Amino acid sequence: MLFYQIRLAFKSIRRNPVLSMLMIGGIGIGIGVATVFVTAHYLFSLNPIPEKSDVLHHVQMDNWDPNRGWDDNDPEDIPDQVTYRDMVNLMKSDIPTYQGGSFKTFLYVYPDPEMGRPFKKITRMCFSGFFKMFEPPFQYGSGWDLSADENLEPVVVLGPEVNQKVFGGENSVGRMIRIEDRDFKVVGVLDHWRPFPKYYDPHNGAFETAEEVYMPFEFFRLLKVRSAGNTSNWQEFDWSDDDQYLASEAIWIQFWVQLDSAPQKEAYFSYLNSYVEEQKKLGRMQRPTHNKLLSVMEWLDDRGAVPEEATSLMAISLLFLLVCALNLIGILLGKFLARAPEVSVRRAMGASRFSIFVEHLVECETIGVLGGLLGIAISIGGLEAVNSLFDNEFSFSLDGNMLVVSILLSLLAGLVAGMYPAWRICTIPPAVYLRER
Amino acid sequence: MLSMTAVKKIYRTNSIETYALSGIDIEVREGEFVAIMGPSGCGKTTFLNVAGLLDTFDQGSYLLDGQDVSRLSDASMSRIRNEKIGFIFQSFNLIPDLDVFDNVDVPLRYRGWNAKKRKEAITESLQRVGLSGRIKHLPSQLSGGQQQRVAFARALVGEPSLILADEPTGNLDSHMAEGILDLLDEINQDGATVVMVTHDATIAKRAHRLVRLLDGQVVEADSVPHRSAFSLVESL
Repeated sequence: MLFYQIRLAFKSIRRNPVLSMLMIGGIGIGIGVATVFVTAHYLFSLNPIPEKSDVLHHVQMDNWDPNRGWDDNDPEDIPDQVTYRDMVNLMKSDIPTYQGGSFKTFLYVYPDPEMGRPFKKITRMCFSGFFKMFEPPFQYGSGWDLSADENLEPVVVLGPEVNQKVFGGENSVGRMIRIEDRDFKVVGVLDHWRPFPKYYDPHNGAFETAEEVYMPFEFFRLLKVRSAGNTSNWQEFDWSDDDQYLASEAIWIQFWVQLDSAPQKEAYFSYLNSYVEEQKKLGRMQRPTHNKLLSVMEWLDDRGAVPEEATSLMAISLLFLLVCALNLIGILLGKFLARAPEVSVRRAMGASRFSIFVEHLVECETIGVLGGLLGIAISIGGLEAVNSLFDNEFSFSLDGNMLVVSILLSLLAGLVAGMYPAWRICTIPPAVYLRER
Repeated sequence: MLSMTAVKKIYRTNSIETYALSGIDIEVREGEFVAIMGPSGCGKTTFLNVAGLLDTFDQGSYLLDGQDVSRLSDASMSRIRNEKIGFIFQSFNLIPDLDVFDNVDVPLRYRGWNAKKRKEAITESLQRVGLSGRIKHLPSQLSGGQQQRVAFARALVGEPSLILADEPTGNLDSHMAEGILDLLDEINQDGATVVMVTHDATIAKRAHRLVRLLDGQVVEADSVPHRSAFSLVESL
């Protein structure tokens, strides 16, 4: 029966091609716009590391001003980064499988003069655990090992762009590269890596590209660099004094641990609580104990990683689709009521009100799906436009899930547009129209 | 087959009540061919709509094939229309953008038969009305007589026990009308009960029995079989 109803729907669509195209176009534009923004929202909220998101944990503790919390509006919210001293202390734990703090900065890279001029590049100062935890893909080589952290070996991992600029894209593992005023040995070259969002450091641009240079954390002292990301503080101290800076309550490090099992997580959380209690005894962390050990998705959710604008635009686009669907009600009503004599004949032949309702709803859904297909084509173009607007920094595209969502939205739009007209036509008194015919 | 007792149908507009049927009593036995006559506005079509479960009534009782149909759901009435009743209209009421085959297919689609069974029934029905060679024609490509034959094929395809015909020859010339009436006769001889509304006494003569309506009531119901009843008609 469904095929019969679809066949009737296509007959009806062909009967008034201009009107039908208007309706399909209306739904198509609505679906296209909605799909672009629903896709953007969806991509913003995707799990960036599904295979490990449950075992990677972001560490937080409340070292803030005892008299004034981190967020006046939300007492549950606590500082989202850690201090240098806390990172150093926490890393003494042997509970996590891997661990490490990191921060973003910018360093000058000096290629061979024949290859180009010096350039400043986004850099991550990190520990060997960074590569073990976040598993960026390597084109050549690998990350450095623990001994390089401990002995402060001058090693570096490059991103593909820097490797292209400095070494012409060749396998540069084992070669030396000058960064700031020192030479570093290349131990690995990353392949294209674009965590989306940049979950390990959403504080400093959740949708920024990944760093192009990675080097052992403690080189920040030798290179005399500081975080180029957010640094927050609540105490007075001399910022120009490195010792005061590192001993301060200033937070600027993102600290992550890998905890592979529930007991391991439980043990680490207990360790964290004990650590905070010890610090309280030393006069620090005088606020109520409130430590957080959040998995990747919990952390992103806590951060509100999906931009409010994306949520607002998605809501507006869905409203726009609703308006498109509501606009069709009048057209469909007129079209269906003009068919009252034919419907009356069908009623006389044994069609129930429900059959007539379903027949007309199928027609609306057919228009909705055709509009949806047009909308998908529009949204593909729309997403390309969004990508180019942001210099292809993002790579929004439709995946299977979003195609399904688009079709479901089309069906929903068809339902919204068709319910009332279909109900009206199924309730006409057939006797009246048979007589008039 | 069809038994109405004191059936009233009232149309209400604001404070005005119009009695389309004002207590009609009528009985049509199985296998009969009954003609319903009367002047315009006497309630002939309303009677046919009520009889065909296309319209409701306000008072009285109606038994169709022994079943009280006064308070049936829409789905039940639709099923009865689909399985027991075949409609033939004055203006044929074919669906213009469906070809002959698909027009005849309409009632079977609501019966849920499979494609093979439907095709066999449609082919047989179109053969019966002599239009098996026109299955791909649209109604607009057929003459009035042919269109009415398609309408007959559509009414007959589900093998209904009751045929309700509303002025079936009203839009046809006398030659075509004769053919259509022959078909009605044939259907009746095959066992179907036929109730035909007409204002034409000559056509009404083809029925076994005449029922005359006036102001929504039966004024004369001749139970004398066949032709002798029409002396009454001719005298009117």
